[in-house]
Amino acid sequence: MAALSQLKMNYMPGTASLIEDIDKKHLVLLRDGRTLIGFLRSIDQLANLMLHQTVEHIHVGKKHGDIPRGIFVVRGENVALLGEIDLEKESDASLQQVSIEEILEEQRVEQQTKLENEKMKIQAFKDRGLSIPRADTLDEY
Amino acid sequence: MAKVSREDSNNQMVCLPEADSALSPEEAAVEEVHQPAKMTCLEGPHSNQGPDKSCGPVAPEEELVSSSQLEEEEEENEEEEEDLDPDLAPDLEEGVDAEEEDFGDPAILSAVTNTQRGLPSSPGIKASGALGMSPASLHFLWQTLDYLSPVPFRPTRPSTSSPVRHFGPRLLPPDPYVFCSPPTSWSPRFSLPSHLTQLHPQHQRILQLQQHSRTPRSPAKKPWSRQSDAYANLMTRKEKDWVIKVQMVQLQSEKPCLDDYYYQNYYQKLEKKEADQELLGQRSKVESLKLVTPYIQKAEAYESVVRFEGSLGQVAMSTCFSPRRAIDAVPHGTPEPEIGAASSQRLRVLSWIEKMFLQLLEIEEGKKNGPPQSCYTEQQRNRVEKLFQALKTQEQSNLEEAADGFLQVLSVRKGKALVARLLPFLTRDLAVSLLLAIIHHLPLLVKRDAADQVLQMLFKPLGKYISHLTFHELLQGLQGLMLLPPGSSERPVTVVLQNQFGISLLYALLSHGAKLVSLDPSLEEPSSDHTAWTDIVILIAWEIAQMPTASLAEPLTFPSNLLPLFCRHVDKQLVQQLEATMQLAWIY
Repeated sequence: MAALSQLKMNYMPGTASLIEDIDKKHLVLLRDGRTLIGFLRSIDQLANLMLHQTVEHIHVGKKHGDIPRGIFVVRGENVALLGEIDLEKESDASLQQVSIEEILEEQRVEQQTKLENEKMKIQAFKDRGLSIPRADTLDEY
Repeated sequence: MAKVSREDSNNQMVCLPEADSALSPEEAAVEEVHQPAKMTCLEGPHSNQGPDKSCGPVAPEEELVSSSQLEEEEEENEEEEEDLDPDLAPDLEEGVDAEEEDFGDPAILSAVTNTQRGLPSSPGIKASGALGMSPASLHFLWQTLDYLSPVPFRPTRPSTSSPVRHFGPRLLPPDPYVFCSPPTSWSPRFSLPSHLTQLHPQHQRILQLQQHSRTPRSPAKKPWSRQSDAYANLMTRKEKDWVIKVQMVQLQSEKPCLDDYYYQNYYQKLEKKEADQELLGQRSKVESLKLVTPYIQKAEAYESVVRFEGSLGQVAMSTCFSPRRAIDAVPHGTPEPEIGAASSQRLRVLSWIEKMFLQLLEIEEGKKNGPPQSCYTEQQRNRVEKLFQALKTQEQSNLEEAADGFLQVLSVRKGKALVARLLPFLTRDLAVSLLLAIIHHLPLLVKRDAADQVLQMLFKPLGKYISHLTFHELLQGLQGLMLLPPGSSERPVTVVLQNQFGISLLYALLSHGAKLVSLDPSLEEPSSDHTAWTDIVILIAWEIAQMPTASLAEPLTFPSNLLPLFCRHVDKQLVQQLEATMQLAWIY
């Protein structure tokens, strides 16, 4: 049989598919905000992904940290977006790599400041008699 | 997915790496087969590399090896039947073919001989048994795969002495495309026709640059390539094809022009453009490819809900297709509650328009699909007739209400569009009746039509039928416009003249009348008709002259015989006044 997957584009013109992304390094952004970088090894029709040599990539400000995670199987519905990483360009990334502990600490600090700002904002609104509808409570409206 | 344990994909995963190992035309792949069966799964990736690469086993990841080992051992016997699958056979054949020399591995040898023995047994059932599917679905698989793999399957019986000869259909000679991943070897041939994948122009430029920069380079190993090569093709070609197949199945449809309207239209435009380009001499006959989904027979539909006579509710049978089926929430024949509000009336009109539109779409579809003469088929005529009746009467017994309903339909933009699109299909009589109805209600329509543009869509189709009007009908229509309604000093014509559609229609009617009169000398004779005609013309001329130029609307077309018509019936002074007014308005 002709190499269907090779001529995939000829067989399925006008469609988008992950087939040609296989065995390439990808950056996957999940719905919960996590960033995974790994080689896309396998997919299925629901866009579930199997990532190999995956690394959880944490990025805070100018620093980044990578936690090696091994093999990931990601359920398709949880993927926000994914894109191929240009391996040549990757080496000249401008972020400074730090240790995992450090980046996790940075992340925690960032999260904390964010929460505090949010709290202040809500308080300011409350003082003026307004309320910000939160995304998770929007369904009530 | 490679790791999902599905019987068919497992089988495939197991046997194909071994086949994949031989995909590369180089005989170096041969050596790899010498490795014990356990490692064949992982040997596959090696074949990516050129002939100068070593065939030493790469330290496999534990999980991958053990699972594949188990699977291979368990299902070695079952996998043979898969060779009947046409697209599998070539893989096996390729794998087996390259191992012509020094093929000593006992495990593989036995696998091959088993396969041979497997041949004469009834293929369909065994294969389906192995795959864990019913014969029906296997047949379905074959159908689609037959579509996907046009190469015919010719089973042959190799001799036992050389178990490795041409086992199945000899496929393509070493195909440069045969191999799947590593980007280095692949990308030079990786061309992206822009119409097939929509890339951002910048992205495309980058890719092209990459291609150009990579082509001169020999397939040298990069630090990362060696690493990825070890695990490349975990998802075998078979599995990729399977995913593609599933996606294709999901895309299939009976009426692609409806379901995939935008792509089909885009593709038609593209083809046209390329045909034009070719005609103009751009010799490159670029065959742009079209997505053709496989046509698969639909599984027999059946009623999973059984209704018994005189019983309340339904008895739902649960089957493999619908394990649990809730009782239908759809009410059957429940009358809609009567809400006597104006809004409900409007809603009723809107829903009526929608229903009629569906009928209209059917008529248009019939015309589009069928041969040119199809507009005269019985079915088509019936449809048109039915729609006309629906439009005219709205299933109201009362004539007045029906007329009112018709007017309401015309007050809605979509209703106007409906009428405009229906007119070309109507016979002369029906169209004329519509036209007369519109003329009769013209002042009202004009008043209700806030947006001028909307009524105008009716002008062209109506204009065609104006020329079909008889003199008498014309007079009838126009007289209605001249009547002074009780309690008002303004004739309906005034309002009509202020509206673009109205004035265009009026001019068209007058022009037609003038034409009729000029063609038929009998009409010149003094008769009630003739006097009526002259009266109308004079009245209209007077009204036009009376109207301030600013409020006179600009007609869509200005018939040339209007001024002469006015000249004949009206005194000179008025004519001059008219000329000035009309032409001024026209210039505006």
